[in-house]
Amino acid sequence: MKNKLVAFILGCLSVCIPAWAHHSFTAQFDGTKPVTLKGTVTEMEWINPHAWIHMDVKGADGKVVSWMVETGSPNILLRRGFTKKSLEAGTEIVVQGYMAKDGENKINGGTVTFPDGKRLFLGGSNPDELPPSK
Amino acid sequence: MNYRYRLIALAAFAVTVMMVSAQPAAKTATATKTWKQPMTPWGDPDLQGVWPSTSMIQTPMERDPKLGTRAVLTDEEVAQKAARNKQFARIETGSANGRVPIAAGWFDYGKPNRQASLVVDPPDGRIPPLTPEAQVREAARKKQWDEKKDSPDTWLDLTTWDRCITLGPVGSVLPFAYNNGQQISQGPGYVVFRNEMIHEARVIPLDGRPHASPQVRSWMGDSRGHWEGNTLVVETTNFNGQFFIGSQGGGFGDSGAVATDQLRLLERFTRVDDDTINYEVTIDDPKTWTKPWKIAYPLRREANYDYIYEYACHEGNIFMHDALAGARANEKKAAEAAAQKGVK
Amino acid sequence: MGGKPNLNGIWESLSTANWDLQDHSAYAGPMWELGAIVAVPAGQGVVEGGLIPYLPSAAEKRKQNFANRRSADPEAKCYLPGIPRATYLPYPFQIVQSDKDLLFVYEYATANRQVNMGKPREAVADSWMGMSNGHWEGDTLVVDVTGLNGKGWFDRAGDFASDGLHVVERYSLTDRDHVAYEATMEDPKVFTRPWKLHLTLYRRVEKDSQLLDFKCIPFAEELLYGEFRKQPGK
Repeated sequence: MKNKLVAFILGCLSVCIPAWAHHSFTAQFDGTKPVTLKGTVTEMEWINPHAWIHMDVKGADGKVVSWMVETGSPNILLRRGFTKKSLEAGTEIVVQGYMAKDGENKINGGTVTFPDGKRLFLGGSNPDELPPSK
Repeated sequence: MNYRYRLIALAAFAVTVMMVSAQPAAKTATATKTWKQPMTPWGDPDLQGVWPSTSMIQTPMERDPKLGTRAVLTDEEVAQKAARNKQFARIETGSANGRVPIAAGWFDYGKPNRQASLVVDPPDGRIPPLTPEAQVREAARKKQWDEKKDSPDTWLDLTTWDRCITLGPVGSVLPFAYNNGQQISQGPGYVVFRNEMIHEARVIPLDGRPHASPQVRSWMGDSRGHWEGNTLVVETTNFNGQFFIGSQGGGFGDSGAVATDQLRLLERFTRVDDDTINYEVTIDDPKTWTKPWKIAYPLRREANYDYIYEYACHEGNIFMHDALAGARANEKKAAEAAAQKGVK
Repeated sequence: MGGKPNLNGIWESLSTANWDLQDHSAYAGPMWELGAIVAVPAGQGVVEGGLIPYLPSAAEKRKQNFANRRSADPEAKCYLPGIPRATYLPYPFQIVQSDKDLLFVYEYATANRQVNMGKPREAVADSWMGMSNGHWEGDTLVVDVTGLNGKGWFDRAGDFASDGLHVVERYSLTDRDHVAYEATMEDPKVFTRPWKLHLTLYRRVEKDSQLLDFKCIPFAEELLYGEFRKQPGK
């Protein structure tokens, strides 16, 4: 069963877009260019169809560069009690994703975690965790 | 690119842990003797409220062919499905294999249930075959889609969902990984069916007036309703023949097709208890499918889903910019690389 | 309706507010190619006192908006119009009212908004149409709108506010087919003081009058994305 799973994953990269992706992931992002960003939130833009986290990332050369991270529809978060006040400017986060094809400093938010490894947006991202009961 | 994988993934990814602890599967609810249909002050059955499709996310559009005409899953089948979906969800969140996932987990998960498919007619739970002319149309559309979707020339190469125009009236109410909200509002002589994604509100007059002229066609069509007992029956015509009906409404699922302007929808809304409306829609387009087919499932109230938040898709459609600008950037790079080769 | 005035019906403004909220002579439109079709007719303003009381920096921004209106007006892009603009666009809207619920359905861009008539809800995130909480004061429907995102305009002339805008609307039936509409705007980041607009809403009394969706995105895509289309031969 594990081998079948591995084969599925390997055959899956740009095809097995999760249910949330209503558009072609590969039209917007480059699946061959994974990126990890560590930086500070400057703003969370609560727009549809994707909310965007804006963050400042300090490069190896010491220069601070601003990045945009694509996340999901804000409507789900709002219903889970996550509001415009929940991710404050100045918060440190680590983001993994893939680069935008148009060359801008933009990635999709594959994983969004705090420096201690705790995932942002709990209740939805961890399959081993039960969502909060109502 | 094989979209059947995408469909499997779609059905599978949408599920992990149950929203509440596992419950016995919900059959389509029937009104009990003790429940009484509330009425509005002007005497119409009261269907007001927010009725999301979330609880049905785990149910695929079409039935596994192995099940034949069996519309209800066994407990064992439900448990197997849940276990498989949990494994796929681990892929999605990256915890299974260390590979970077696509999304940070922004999904609703639905409830385990025994309904084998959303399609309930034909009896095998599968969408009927396309007409010969529709097969030709769809083959051409899919070819265009496959060629252009990762590098669109213009916005017309992408779906009506990518463009934030509409999911169509059927796509808007189908269960999906997020934004399943629907709201019913009522006034004397009217019912309004309002969906969250993409913020349409279908105003349904109940006074028996004729449909708008056939020269007036639109994306959401022209709806007319009446009551049969406590059931709201809505007939919608005057479509513009430009949107997809199928598993996602977006246009890149395997099952489904772009309907023509001959499309006619017949919906029935029946409230069976305080928290459930049984919804069904018959899809009839003789130029696309060889016979009409029907989707049916319950819409269920949820404790934290009593308000429809705004889903302003078009206003924030950064994807459209990125997809087009990205395609142009790649073309430019390819052209420059080719020119360099020429120079050398 | 539920002991309150019945606002059910299809309504439309007949004012010049959507062209330009303030008093104005006729002036040229943003593109000469359509001549008189896009020109702006003279209008008696709907603003109480005549002028919108902009802060000096905001008055500058308004001038820039006006100069850029051909591409900067959210209406041209088919963006959701916000409140109060949705009320006086040149398209009808429908109020669907029961004893417990109130919904506004606008023809333009399939905009719609629920007016929450129960316990007021806070706007947990900003939006184009805002968060509307309503209650009755005698026979007047009072709607309190917050959580607007500051990206909408008030008209085609570039009048605007920030995301700090707070709007209070008042709807009163003056007779069966007319509603007196008033909106008070407050935004200390943009205006020196609160200000009001007044206009009349007319019931669409034609037989079988109905809304027809105006899904305008297909007509705005060239404007928004045209520069990124693939050029032939490239």
